[in-house]
Amino acid sequence: MRALVIDDSRAMRRIVTGILTNLGYEVRDAGHGREGLDVLDEGWVPDLATIDWNMPVMDGLQFVSAVRSNPAWRRMTMMMVTSESEHTQIVRALAAGAHEYMIKPFTADAFRDKLALLGLLPQEVAL
Amino acid sequence: MSLTATSFDWVRELVRKESAIVLQPGKEYLVEARLLPIARQMGLADVSKLVETVRVRPDPENTRRIVEALTTNETSWFRDGDPFTALTSTVVPALLAARGANERLQIWSAASSSGQEPYTIAMLLDDALPNAASRVSITATDLSREMVQRTKAGRFSQLEVNRGLPAPMLVRHFQRAGTEWEVSPTLRRMVTASECNLAAPLPRMGPFDVVYLRNVLIYFDLPTKQSILRRVRDLMRPDGWLFLGAAETTLGVDDSWERVVIGRSSAYRPLKGA
Amino acid sequence: MTSTDTGQRRRGTDVRPVITDLMDEDTILAVAGDAWISLVGEDEVLVPIPGDLPGDVLSSWVDVVGPWTGSVVLTTGRATAEALSRALLRETAPEVLEVEDVEDAFGEIANVVGGSIKAALPGPSGLSLPQVGHAPLVRNPADVCRVEVLWRGEPLTISVQGALPPLPVPSS
Repeated sequence: MRALVIDDSRAMRRIVTGILTNLGYEVRDAGHGREGLDVLDEGWVPDLATIDWNMPVMDGLQFVSAVRSNPAWRRMTMMMVTSESEHTQIVRALAAGAHEYMIKPFTADAFRDKLALLGLLPQEVAL
Repeated sequence: MSLTATSFDWVRELVRKESAIVLQPGKEYLVEARLLPIARQMGLADVSKLVETVRVRPDPENTRRIVEALTTNETSWFRDGDPFTALTSTVVPALLAARGANERLQIWSAASSSGQEPYTIAMLLDDALPNAASRVSITATDLSREMVQRTKAGRFSQLEVNRGLPAPMLVRHFQRAGTEWEVSPTLRRMVTASECNLAAPLPRMGPFDVVYLRNVLIYFDLPTKQSILRRVRDLMRPDGWLFLGAAETTLGVDDSWERVVIGRSSAYRPLKGA
Repeated sequence: MTSTDTGQRRRGTDVRPVITDLMDEDTILAVAGDAWISLVGEDEVLVPIPGDLPGDVLSSWVDVVGPWTGSVVLTTGRATAEALSRALLRETAPEVLEVEDVEDAFGEIANVVGGSIKAALPGPSGLSLPQVGHAPLVRNPADVCRVEVLWRGEPLTISVQGALPPLPVPSS
C-alpha cells in the first residue's frame, strides 16, 4: 500500500513516515498541499494521504478540497493529522471531504487504531 | 530527585504484587512524576514522604491510588471492533423482535474501566435506534471507584479520544470541555455507572439482555472464573448474549453456555435447561 | 472564603480576558505532559520542579489569535532542545542533527502544545506556524501563565503569554 505524508515539519514527516513504513507502506512526502498535488499529478495516487492543516503555500483544507474536485483521486483516503483540535475545525475538515481526523499529539498505537478504522491496516501486521 | 532506592523498591514490589506489572530499574523518574500529584494532594512534601506514610499506616485507598497511577493504560474505543459490529448487526435486531415495544433493553458493561466500552455501545445504539435513550439502558461497573467516577463524568482526554474513535462519531457525540472532551447528555443519560467487584457476590441488577465481560476472566484462576460466569448467568435473561474478550472462552470453564459465531466474533448464550 | 467573586469587574464586555482568567498551570502541565508522552516517548515525563535555565537558551512558539491573543512559548537550553529533537525523531534521527532539524522539531513541539492550549481557550482562534529563536517579550506581566518543569533533569519553561500591553487602569 502507498501513503503520501503532507506536513511542513520534517520531524513530523519523519515520524509519520516511520510509522507507515513499519506497517509495510511505500511512502512519499510533501512539505505543503501544493507539493502534495504535484505528487498526485505525476500519477502517483496513494491509498492514504495524511495531511497537516497549517502549512505554508497551500494548507491542508485547501488540499482536501482540491482532491475532492478531481474524480481520478476519489479512491484515496484522506486523514487530517494536525494540532488543530477544536470541534468546529474537525467538522469543517470532515465536511470538506476528509475521512478521518487525528489530533496531534498522537502515539503510534493511536495511528494504527485509526488505520484499522479506515480498513487500511495491513492484515499481516495487525496485532 | 527525592526518591530513595528503598522507596522505589517498595513501590516496585507493591505494583508487582497488585497488578503483575514490573517496573524496571531506572524508572524512578516515572514513579516520581506519577506519584508527586498524589503526595501533594495529601499535603506531603515529596514521594518518599508518601511512601513512608503508606508503609507505616497501610490504607487500601492510598495503596490503590498508587497502583492505579502507575498502571493505567489508554483503552481504545472500538477495541476489537467485531463484538460491537455484532451488536448492531445481529444482537439488537434479534432482541427488538423478541421484546415488547415498551420493554427496555438492558446492557451490562462489566469492568468498564474509564467508560470507553459503555459509551461506545451507547453511541452505536444512539446512531442505530430512534429514541435510543428511552429504549436502552446501559449499566457500567468497575472495581475502581476512580474509574466509576470517570465514567459518570464522561470526560476524556485528547489522547483518549485519539484511540480508535471515528472522527464523525467524535463530533456527533462529544463537545469540547477545556482540554478534554465530554460525551453528550443523551449518552450520559443512557449509562449508569457503579462500583462492583466481580469476584464477590453481585448486587441486584438486571436482568440483562447483553453482557460485555471482556478481558476480565484472564486475570482469575479457574474456580473464580467459574463462579463469575455462574453469577453473570444468574443476572441474564434466558435468551441473552454474552461477549468475552478475544482470548477468552467459556469452553472448558463452564459448560452451561452455547457458543454462537456472529461474523468475525463469537457470543455465548445460556444453554436451556443447563 | 467569605467574599464572592461576581466576575463583573473582569468579565465586563469592555475588558478583554487575561490568560489567568482562562487557564491555570495544571492545564498547561496536563497538555504538555500528554504531548511529551506521545511525541517524545511513553516514559518521558515532565516533573513540575523549577530549575535554573542555562545561559544559552532556545525558544520555540506559536501565536494564537482570537478572543485571547498571545503566544505559547517553550524555552530550554540549546543542548536540551537538541536532546528533545533527537528523542522526538527516535530511530529516524539523522546521525548529525543540523540546526534546522532542531528548530523544526522543537517548533513542532510548540505547535502541538499550542494547538491543545488553543482548543482550551474561547474560540474561534487562529494558530500561526511555529517560530524558533528568542522568545517574544512579555508585554503584560498580568497576562502570563507559566510553568517550570524538568525533563530528564533539565529545566524547561512553558509560558502562555499575552501579546498585548496592559489596558490603562480606569481612574476610580
